[in-house]
Amino acid sequence: MIKKVIIIVLLVASLTSCVAVKEYEKININDPDMALSDKKADRNTTTFHSYREGAAGANGGKTGGGCGCN
Amino acid sequence: MNFSQNIVLPFFLFSFLIGFSQDSADVYKKRVLENTEVDFLSSYYSQDGDNAAVSGGFGSEELTDATGTVIVSIPLNDDDILTIDAGISAYTSASSSNVDPFDGNKLADPFVASSGASSSDLWGNVTGTYTHSSDSRNDIWSAKASVSSEYDYFSIGAGGSYTKLFNQKNTEVNVNLNVYLDTWKTFYPIELRSFANARNGFDPFIFDRNSIIGNQNYNPDFKELDSKERNSYSLGFGFSQILSKNLQGSLMLDFIQQKGLLSSPFQRVYFSDVPDSFIENFQLADDIERLPDSRLKIAIGGRLNYYVNEVFVLRSYYRYYTDDWGIKSHTASLEIPIKISQKFTLFPSYRYYMQTAADYFAPFESHLSTDEFYTSDYDISEYTANQYGFGVSYTDLLNSFNVWNLGLKSIDLKYNKYDRNSNFSASIVTGGIKFIIE
Repeated sequence: MIKKVIIIVLLVASLTSCVAVKEYEKININDPDMALSDKKADRNTTTFHSYREGAAGANGGKTGGGCGCN
Repeated sequence: MNFSQNIVLPFFLFSFLIGFSQDSADVYKKRVLENTEVDFLSSYYSQDGDNAAVSGGFGSEELTDATGTVIVSIPLNDDDILTIDAGISAYTSASSSNVDPFDGNKLADPFVASSGASSSDLWGNVTGTYTHSSDSRNDIWSAKASVSSEYDYFSIGAGGSYTKLFNQKNTEVNVNLNVYLDTWKTFYPIELRSFANARNGFDPFIFDRNSIIGNQNYNPDFKELDSKERNSYSLGFGFSQILSKNLQGSLMLDFIQQKGLLSSPFQRVYFSDVPDSFIENFQLADDIERLPDSRLKIAIGGRLNYYVNEVFVLRSYYRYYTDDWGIKSHTASLEIPIKISQKFTLFPSYRYYMQTAADYFAPFESHLSTDEFYTSDYDISEYTANQYGFGVSYTDLLNSFNVWNLGLKSIDLKYNKYDRNSNFSASIVTGGIKFIIE
């Protein structure tokens, strides 16, 4: 599973790494809703997931600190 | 570890390959942050379920939590930003209250909250982050330190990251490292405390006042925990790429190593091969949960965002997670921001989550006393969860609304409803207001 993901990632990345969208062409990419991260207002939702679920990481959220035990 | 090498090596190789295509031309140096920004965040969370870990996987999980946070980002000069993030959280918890179910006036019962001291607590956190960007804005360094505290838990953290932009800022790679050093104040279930280690005896405050029902020879073989520290070390790699004028994606890979006391000292376990003892309706613990003192977590996630048109954006996310406790998990989410006007955006969203159970999990009264590790914490059981959300955002591009010298930039409000297939549900309302200081 992981190997497949890595292969796909490398394939996609190698196909696209030569693409260079110019700064003046990034008006849509720079739209706030296109950000590759959660909004700050979503932070407490991500924290509750990390406390109530077994999985954590790879989402910009907490990776440690705090017991989350209540 | 072969698995780690197989993942990390391609990331580094790829970073070097990308590095050859970086732009070297001088660019206009704009301030990284023009004005001081202030974010006020708040949330109200509530949950309920029937599988409280404090009472061994059987009992009320009712909990409410209110959180308030202030984040201030201050531009120190053209290149540097200092961010102070301070938050406080207040919770009430039915299950935590039953660490001592006999300290209130109510009937001792796993589905009834006790009114004692453990029924509520405060959590506070302060994090400072310093970020420096190079003149070209192609190199970004950051360092942070944090401290958080609650009644039975204290945590200090430190971390840093380095981000490199290439390919006319179309490509970005990132590496980050975080360390958290945590310390427990161990509070055990009240009925076990007087049996700890060599102190074999009955606490008169409990056992003289209450009669034991069922097995009257209650005599748990309880040993206190050796360690009170929990340390977490995480190493993360990120890669993001603009794929076209309307499409961009990112990949994240995190390795998290935890060491020390990874169980919760006040979560009970009931053994199937030990006769049951009760006071009123509350079953007396056979032991607390016992878990290994090491856990390696690996998570790989990806985001893909597509700008459909001036109205719609598609925001997708997927994560695969695995750890050496036997949990494997898939997370997928889709959010579709809909711009209904220049100022208002709607945010319908859906999130799917599933996980397998940890090797050490078994339901209420299913473990054997001969097991080495055991827990009945349903947070690490097998389940699937669905979350439906809806939000609205207001953006004031011209900062036309002012409070003192704070100019309003945006307001966000969101509601999420979360349901597991194992008798657990939660909801959270979050709000955020961003101001800039003019």
